[in-house]
Amino acid sequence: MIELHDVWRLYRMGGESINALAGIDLKVSQGEFVAIVGPSGSGKSTLLNIIGGLDAPTMGRIEVDGQDLSKASDRELSLYRNKKVGFIFQTFNLQPTYTALENVSLPLVFAKVPLWRRKRIAREVMETVELSDRLRHKPNQLSGGERQRVAIARALVNDPKILLADEPTGNLDSKSGEQIMELLTRMNKERGIILLLVTHDLKTAGYADRMLRMLDGQIAEAVDRRQAL
Amino acid sequence: MSLLDLLRTAFSNLRRRKLRSFLTIFAVVIGASLVSLLVSLGIGAQQFLTAQIKAMMPPDVVTVASDPNRFEIGVGGIGFGGNPQEVSDDEDSPLSLEPLTLQDIEAVRALEHVERIDPRVTLRAESVKLQGSDKSFRTSLRAMPQYQVESTDLVAGRYLTEQSRWECIIANQYLDSFGLEQPEDALGRDVIIRVRQWSSFIGLPSETKDYNFEIVGVTEKTLRSTQIIISIEDGKELSRFWADNPDWYTDDIPPAILQVKLEDSQYADQVAQAVEDLGLGAITSKEVLGLIGTIFIIIQAVLSAFGLIALGVASLGVINTLIMAIYERTREIGVMKAVGASRSTIRLLFTTEGMIIGFLGGAIGVGIGYALGLAINRISHATFLKDFQTFNISAFPWWLMVGVIALSTIIALAAALYPAHRASRLDPIEALRYE
Repeated sequence: MIELHDVWRLYRMGGESINALAGIDLKVSQGEFVAIVGPSGSGKSTLLNIIGGLDAPTMGRIEVDGQDLSKASDRELSLYRNKKVGFIFQTFNLQPTYTALENVSLPLVFAKVPLWRRKRIAREVMETVELSDRLRHKPNQLSGGERQRVAIARALVNDPKILLADEPTGNLDSKSGEQIMELLTRMNKERGIILLLVTHDLKTAGYADRMLRMLDGQIAEAVDRRQAL
Repeated sequence: MSLLDLLRTAFSNLRRRKLRSFLTIFAVVIGASLVSLLVSLGIGAQQFLTAQIKAMMPPDVVTVASDPNRFEIGVGGIGFGGNPQEVSDDEDSPLSLEPLTLQDIEAVRALEHVERIDPRVTLRAESVKLQGSDKSFRTSLRAMPQYQVESTDLVAGRYLTEQSRWECIIANQYLDSFGLEQPEDALGRDVIIRVRQWSSFIGLPSETKDYNFEIVGVTEKTLRSTQIIISIEDGKELSRFWADNPDWYTDDIPPAILQVKLEDSQYADQVAQAVEDLGLGAITSKEVLGLIGTIFIIIQAVLSAFGLIALGVASLGVINTLIMAIYERTREIGVMKAVGASRSTIRLLFTTEGMIIGFLGGAIGVGIGYALGLAINRISHATFLKDFQTFNISAFPWWLMVGVIALSTIIALAAALYPAHRASRLDPIEALRYE
């Protein structure tokens, strides 16, 4: 369960301050799939980063499963990112010198899981994303869709409560994009993981239970597909 | 992140840029090999000098002088370059000596733990030659009591005894000068030692006198290559002629310096203190060695300064390498943070890389320094130190190896602190966007 109360995020850019988030109130329940749409600079990514513990709000409170992130130390936040959150980026952000398996194992390294167990867990997750035959491949030997699946496997490897996906299909062709969305939806439904997805693409947003349209750091419109149906 | 993973990751990061890592490590290698080699040379010289002094000044002997300040001169008292030292009227010149009084000598003899006392006989001989030969050589005569003679190592013959008269032990190097093949060839031969009176030093008329000695022993090769050892009694006689004073070393003019033999070396400090309490000067071999140790610490500090400068320059390379690595790995650092690396983990990762550079550089450097030291020892034993096979110019005790490796590691670690701090403070969001 994610709760945001009047969350503000101010950036200073050359003496000018910009409200990336301007008083966001939001509740996301366990197992929900929420798509966040809106134009560039509307604060979508900032919202995702704050929920993911990569950024801190200037004002307001954010709680995840009762933990107040706005008061957490760096160590607590890194533990939170390690155990509860999985990030998926538009540009995959895989480590080019690592194999697929090593990329997937990375969060387990920081969780101090021993090597032999890391390999086993990572293999299982690679199976889930249907890449068992690509374990030893380096990212440049994989297609875009495969790379994103490796990135998803990395996000899933620590069994997180929340998946945060920032334009996960943005760099993919439509067929790969569909496969990725199916995979993410499946994880959301099968495992009850909260899925927060930032996208430009309304078709991609159409997979979600709920859609938030952001504008100038505020939630301008909320559409609940489940109620609409 | 576990220690093993930390090391694994740091190593694999260094392997990614092989040439750059190699060059950075190489700079540390130069510094570490310089430090270790130079210090090892200092240690070698110190060990050699210490051994020589121990032979001349056994640990169970206290040297006693009539002037309580005799041994206080130290290094600074010579006054080279300093202001002239003030001298009060009732004070003797530090370089002059009065004879001891008989009471003083008896008081020293009566001290606890004193086994025996002998005068330190001052001797000057002009030359020495083998009887029947016309080639004369320079020599430094030493008059020693039997126990001290017995502490030198002989290659042939026997030691002098308390009763020995007109017998001597020659330094090994004389064999060559006298044209003798084997040490045994010298035994039983006579040498003629010529003494010229001291007045010749200052240009006054002087006489010479020749003394015949039978060679009864030949020493091992040592630094004292012109030494000829004779008994105390013979020494006194030669000394009286040299000084042109038949009363020297008699009750009329007792010696100024005594060599006091103790029951055991453990009493050296105690007896030296007791002697000083009598108003006399005393010095032990420990004190001399301590002074030499101090001098060598200074020498070594100067020597290792060169290597330390090289290590300092190498540390700049470490900083440079790691800052470059931050730029190359900015995105990676962002990803690491996103998947759960804390600031301290990132900091640790970079300092570990620095430490590995320092450790490898230090270890390789010590290895090279050691190898160079061995080579120098070999070459010197084959050439200019042929006669001193037991003397190693370069000495590598274990603590030097451990110390230099630790020093390189710590210097590289210190150099890594700033880059590591910078890497840890990277904003993950910026880092993930970094192209």
